[in-house]
Amino acid sequence: MGSHLRCENIVVRFGGVVACSDVSLDVEEGRVVGLIGPNGAGKTTLFNVLSRFQDHDQGHVFLRGKPIDRRKPHEMIGLGMARTFQNINLFHDQSTLDNILIGAHRLTGDPISNFYSFPSARRRERALVKRAGEIAELLRLSDELDNAVKNLPYGVQKRVEIARALAGNPQIILLDEPVAGCNDDETLELRDVVRKVNSELGITILLVEHDMSMVMNVCDYIYVVNFGANLAQGTPQDIRVNREVIKAYLGEEAQA
Amino acid sequence: MALKNPKARASAVVHDRAAVAALKSRFAVQNFYLVVFFFALLLLTPLVPGFKGWMAGQASLVIVYIIAAQGVSILSGYTGLVSVGHGGFLAIGAYAAALLTKYFAVDLVLAVVTGAVAAGFVGMLMGLIFLRLAGPFMAIGTLGFAFFVGTVVNNVPIFEGREGISLPANRIFGVVIGDIGFYYASVVFLALVTLFIFSLVRSSVGRALKALRDSEKAAQSCGVNRLSYRTLAFTVSATITGAAGALNGLVVHYVSAEVYSDIWYSVDILVAAVVGGSAMLMGPIVGGAFVALLPFFLETFADFSFILKGVVLIAVLMFAPAGICDVVARPIRAYRRRRLERAGAAPGESAATPRRPFGLADQQGDA
Amino acid sequence: MLGQQIISGLATGSLYALTAIAVVVVFRNTRTINVAQGDFSMIAAFIAVLLLKSGANYYVTIAATVLFTVALGILVERLVMRPIADSDWLTLFTATLGVYYIMHGVAGWIWGRDTKAFPVTFDPTPIHFFGVIVSEGHLINMAWAASIGVVLFLFFRFTKQGIAMRAVTDDPETATLMGIPVRFIVLLTWGMAGFLGAFAGILIAPILYVSPQMMDEVLIKGYVAAVFGGLYSIPGAIIGALMIGVAENLAGGYLGSHYKTATAFVMIVALLALRPKGLLGIQNRREI
Repeated sequence: MGSHLRCENIVVRFGGVVACSDVSLDVEEGRVVGLIGPNGAGKTTLFNVLSRFQDHDQGHVFLRGKPIDRRKPHEMIGLGMARTFQNINLFHDQSTLDNILIGAHRLTGDPISNFYSFPSARRRERALVKRAGEIAELLRLSDELDNAVKNLPYGVQKRVEIARALAGNPQIILLDEPVAGCNDDETLELRDVVRKVNSELGITILLVEHDMSMVMNVCDYIYVVNFGANLAQGTPQDIRVNREVIKAYLGEEAQA
Repeated sequence: MALKNPKARASAVVHDRAAVAALKSRFAVQNFYLVVFFFALLLLTPLVPGFKGWMAGQASLVIVYIIAAQGVSILSGYTGLVSVGHGGFLAIGAYAAALLTKYFAVDLVLAVVTGAVAAGFVGMLMGLIFLRLAGPFMAIGTLGFAFFVGTVVNNVPIFEGREGISLPANRIFGVVIGDIGFYYASVVFLALVTLFIFSLVRSSVGRALKALRDSEKAAQSCGVNRLSYRTLAFTVSATITGAAGALNGLVVHYVSAEVYSDIWYSVDILVAAVVGGSAMLMGPIVGGAFVALLPFFLETFADFSFILKGVVLIAVLMFAPAGICDVVARPIRAYRRRRLERAGAAPGESAATPRRPFGLADQQGDA
Repeated sequence: MLGQQIISGLATGSLYALTAIAVVVVFRNTRTINVAQGDFSMIAAFIAVLLLKSGANYYVTIAATVLFTVALGILVERLVMRPIADSDWLTLFTATLGVYYIMHGVAGWIWGRDTKAFPVTFDPTPIHFFGVIVSEGHLINMAWAASIGVVLFLFFRFTKQGIAMRAVTDDPETATLMGIPVRFIVLLTWGMAGFLGAFAGILIAPILYVSPQMMDEVLIKGYVAAVFGGLYSIPGAIIGALMIGVAENLAGGYLGSHYKTATAFVMIVALLALRPKGLLGIQNRREI
């Protein structure tokens, strides 16, 4: 399997602060890859660079081998990359269905035919609604389609974010702390969802996460960053016993 | 699964999707009839006994204000942007229509359409400059634009500055129409614009605009090109206001720099959109009527009309930030929400009407 | 002749600067675009005329007017801005627009809408200054504006309140955590707006004559100047104001007085098209 998303030697500076100093990673197609590290390690910055919501000062990013350094955020879904947001960036007053439909925006065709409701546009819209229903069913959201997302429980909102990301037919999804703020039940639920999305739909996944149970159970491969640089990488088993990683998380009082 | 949100208990009720869909379409039909009723009233007004010819002219001017406010509402209500310079588009529309009418004796319809297109074109160009700017800068930039247009019409000879251009009688398809005829024509234009906005909001274009308004980053991650859609909204907004400008000049058969270089027009239209409610279909109608009629009622007390305008504006911002129409519609919405909840849905306060006057979501700071 | 126009432009520019500084300070601390700033000056001018006509001494008038306008600023903050303090910037901006309308209406109602002359004029005898002819009025304006500038500089640098204000500008949440009374700072901000407005009004009145609409154009130029500083930098705003003053004077001299006000707008549209964040504006954030 080839490389799906890759970055080399990423450097990001904010004024005097170096958020990322020479980070590289490679996400293989079809895999679930995790990006972890202590707070302030630069994970979020890197994540934003990969999804093009942040400019980098040095280094390169490649999607399926092609450089995407100059791409704008809204172009990414067209290239097959979707992302979610840590602080649930849903359209609060709108329904679950509408949120998913906006996710499918790039499939809606040109504005003119849509605006005048040409038959082609109406057909497309019906197909999109049907697809939204299928996605909702996959993520067990069918009952919530007409509800405004702000009325939904937190864990359900997280699932709607993922549903919205799926609506654009991505080949790779970047998940930004998918279980942040979730309780144990919700975390289990989302673990299940992530595995399903990867195994049933074949979508590559890169996730940034703090919750170790999520990371260890779901990821095929893990990258660890600290102080803006690569610290370690390997399978969950490797990372679990890696001295450097343990030291980074627990500080100097790490022991075997 | 532990439910964190008490409101979510609604989904524990049997969710009857068919019933919800039926209710929603019933509400939509009710809304439609309400609007039809309103337009019927408008059309019947001249038949009221005591209606004089000159009233038709004034009523047309009120409609013009409303259309201009509708133009602004597309930006402020549905896209979350602010332009304090739409008077510039009024001017462009007015002068384009005026010059065509005076020198080429064109039809009313053609004049208005040309004015609208001219304004829309300039709007698109201006959009390219101003839409990159953060909120406050864009507001100031658009104000500069209005001022610039005002200076141009004041000083460039073809526009006859303060002397103004007098226009011949209006014709539609060759037939000369008087004030009452013009009134009906403007009602028709109003209906067309209202229909246009209605369709726009419900289309995928409207969906993308609302997404941009509610959460820019999320919308971008869904593939919505911020600059393209904003430019589209800006162009449409300018076009509508340009049409209003054209009508404005043609109804009084006169355009002069005295009117169109006055930047307070721009602010007035914005106030109209805010007071009425920019994100609602009837909002600009209420707001436009309020701002347009204020000087009439307080003709001898021009200063009081200023004070009243300021007080109402502040009051609306404090107590009814989404506009007067929003407040009026609240009980209706509450009733409808209860009906929907009984069918198992937990709808939001209707996706089209956010709480703030300019439709901004919880994110503050730049647009 | 050219030197003359430049000096005269600098003099007017330094008055625009007072408005521009007030606009920047209010915006920095409260995210509010205050369109009523000009009207603080306008009301101050009317009050000053009232006092002078009833025989008060010039300096007493200044003191009393400044006090009054500061109180006015605080009143606006309390009544209008505080209840909606958590709103988005557009609501705040529109609220100040409401204040603008109210002040215009009140001034027109009390004093009428036609223009009046300001009862104090300066000695028109020209003074020779490095080979350029300057009038006393110009010098006085520039002197006042410069002194206020110095006072402000000292205030922000060395006083507890000034430093606190800068902290609030940079990071209101942390400022609160450090015990800085943000609400008091906001009050102080609007008081300062009144303070600067008063001086702008009193100094501009002899030039522009007094009427409810006297400050409308000055306000706009003040904003254009503030944008030169990215709505954040006081030195930027001052430079912008001086540039506008000089540019419009030159334009007026060589192109005709019609083009005076348009100059400010051509400048701002050009600036925004070329450098969207202003001349000395806010540091560029890297997020797309």
